[in-house]
Amino acid sequence: MGAYSDHVAGPLAPTWTPETTSREESDLDRPWVTIVWDDPVNLMTYVTFVLQELFGYDEPTATQLMLQVHNEGKAIVSSGPRERMEHDTNRLHAYGLWATYQRDA
Amino acid sequence: MKPFRRKGEELVARLVDAEADIVGLLLDQLEQLLAADPVDSGGDPVMARLLPRGHASDPEIAADYRELTEAGLRSGKADDLAMVRATLPPHGGEVRLDADQARAWLRTTNDLRLALGTRLGISADTEPPEVDTSDDADEEGSQLAVYYWLTAVQGSLVDALAAGRGGRR
Repeated sequence: MGAYSDHVAGPLAPTWTPETTSREESDLDRPWVTIVWDDPVNLMTYVTFVLQELFGYDEPTATQLMLQVHNEGKAIVSSGPRERMEHDTNRLHAYGLWATYQRDA
Repeated sequence: MKPFRRKGEELVARLVDAEADIVGLLLDQLEQLLAADPVDSGGDPVMARLLPRGHASDPEIAADYRELTEAGLRSGKADDLAMVRATLPPHGGEVRLDADQARAWLRTTNDLRLALGTRLGISADTEPPEVDTSDDADEEGSQLAVYYWLTAVQGSLVDALAAGRGGRR
């Protein structure tokens, strides 16, 4: 047995590093984001309140995100795995905010 | 209307008889909208705003999202609506809300504003109607007045809740 195991020890040792950078895998690694879009009905104070309520942002952070929505038309309010972004979008919809989720661009 | 103010742990406002009537009627209409068969209301812009797409451009993801969330969103809105109805004084008077009830009012007044705002085509440039509305004010003018009245109710509730949150820190 001794001689044989000496013989296979070398070839069994990994001599290559698994490929982890194929296109598919890097797509899977890319996080998803939840986006809030500007709309003419939701009050600015309400949007700020909801962002604090749902994501635990402090008031200055929530206000800054709200202003980005208002001035630039949209803002990313959270990022992470797809299921969580789905959940975040759902919670925003329950409060009537106009939100979508997508893979980060 | 006496706007919402914080009194201890509660949020308190006062509505006159006619205002409570209008809120009651709007709740009935929203309830009917939410109860309608999704197939029948599929093309309705108000329902599209109350139950938006989850993904902006991918129809498959949007369909998955809708299947996963729509029933829950509808029942959440119905629960909120029932909570508002239960705390609305039928002939006007004091509205007194705890924290959960206040959030139900926030979400429902927002849904009412989204529904009315979509029907009225509210844009960022829409101005509140003149205070001096004559007796022969048109239907759309009075709906716009209701929209801005709801805005004042919701705005005072947000401010009262936000003030309480600041005070706790």
